[in-house]
Amino acid sequence: MGRGPLSAAVIAVALLLQVAVINRLPLPGGITPDVVLLAVAAVALVNGSMTGMVAGFFAGLAADIVPPADHSVGRYAFALCVVGFCCGRAEGVLQHSSLLPFGVLAGAALGGSALYAGLGAFIGDPRVTWASVGHILPLSVVYALIASPFVLYLVTRVFRRFDSEEPMLTVRL
Amino acid sequence: MQDTRRTRVILGLLLLAAFGMIMIDYRGGESSPLSGLRGLGATVFGPIERGAAAVTRPVERAWETISGAPEAQSRIRTLEGENERLREQLRQRGLDKTRADELSRLLHLSGLGRYKVVAAQAVALRGAQGYEDTLTIDVGSDEGVKTDMTVLNGDGLVGRVTQVGPSTSTVLLITDAASQVGARLEGSKEIGLVSGRGKGLSGEPLIRFQLLDSTAELKPGDRITSFGSQANRPYVPGVPIGVVQRVEKTPGALSRSALVRPYVRFTTLDVLGVVVGPPDDDPRDAVLPPTATPVPTVTVTVTPGATPKPGESPTPSGNPPSTPPASPSGTSSRGR
Repeated sequence: MGRGPLSAAVIAVALLLQVAVINRLPLPGGITPDVVLLAVAAVALVNGSMTGMVAGFFAGLAADIVPPADHSVGRYAFALCVVGFCCGRAEGVLQHSSLLPFGVLAGAALGGSALYAGLGAFIGDPRVTWASVGHILPLSVVYALIASPFVLYLVTRVFRRFDSEEPMLTVRL
Repeated sequence: MQDTRRTRVILGLLLLAAFGMIMIDYRGGESSPLSGLRGLGATVFGPIERGAAAVTRPVERAWETISGAPEAQSRIRTLEGENERLREQLRQRGLDKTRADELSRLLHLSGLGRYKVVAAQAVALRGAQGYEDTLTIDVGSDEGVKTDMTVLNGDGLVGRVTQVGPSTSTVLLITDAASQVGARLEGSKEIGLVSGRGKGLSGEPLIRFQLLDSTAELKPGDRITSFGSQANRPYVPGVPIGVVQRVEKTPGALSRSALVRPYVRFTTLDVLGVVVGPPDDDPRDAVLPPTATPVPTVTVTVTPGATPKPGESPTPSGNPPSTPPASPSGTSSRGR
């Protein structure tokens, strides 16, 4: 399978997992790890900025229109597109360090969440207040740190196993 | 090596597209040209969410059973005690037929308020990033659900429908920071506005109630029902919302506000009802549960049929009684 379809499959699975399972978990703090964002960041880390930002755009667009969502279409697409691009630029990290990729994913969660909130503030979303952002932003980073090993491991495994376009990536995990 | 000029051009185009969509959707509001896209999302993902919910619900119930076990134990003890007391009462007074009718009417809120309700189940919770208090339910346009319909459960008001797909719809909970509901105080009939604080699914699920009349009395324990919107959409009148928990002291404010504990527990939502047909007239306080007392005495407030005055419309009735029952009760009613 090529990278495009594989990335699409990974994103689709992440999206379904997010909406049907993870969002229903009664986790402390009232928010849940953003698996879609983490999947986009992982796909970008493995495949580079081009694949990352396209995957991010479409993943975000899908997350914008999946039923319980009730914000302007495009907000999440914008945030995840940027996340995909930035993580794609950090592509080399995967080969050179075993811990840094998790930091990149946590940073992606921080950046993505902040960008999403910022866009909301820009168009005057009443949900985005200092209080709500101050509550959600740190928690989302913590949850990203907890969830990132699983997401990164699964995504790199999937690409190593099924990707036929490139020689094997050497991933140290 | 990947980061060529082409990549940057495409990045720019994608970001521009996303930004354009935000603007179009935001400006368009309800009639946004992108609502078709949302409909597509509901059509594609709705059934998948329904299926996934059917699979995960037993797991979730099992988890709730386990995590709620200690609480359940103490609850069982309380309930057993209460059962004993009730049994004693029953032995003493006997269960006459009118009381039984009253009880069953209390249990069936919708029957009491004469709402026409489509039953629904919650299938997916919470919108993106934890900012939104939204919910997907498993009924849609196929069952006659339209946008801006009231959603309630056996305890009280849950929210309103914001988007409808063929087999699912999205509910904006009253705890969402973007939600505002017209409400009135029980008894004094003072009108106000209930707005969410965005914490329905986390932390304290309190909502804010603002009285329009800053001189009206407001004290903890006051109960609040929905006021009803024009043409009964999005909110039908008379649905219980919650109990005033504490009055906020904001000197110099033009309106009085209080934090309200909703009757509905938003973290455990399961079976809900969508009001597809509103009542013929405002049921007022007739739908509120009996006043909370340690021993449930059934004969307190409920006199259905007596309260709604004939011919009264759900629109603001010109003159609300300006001085509700006097007695400035203690510390809660602040100076001004």
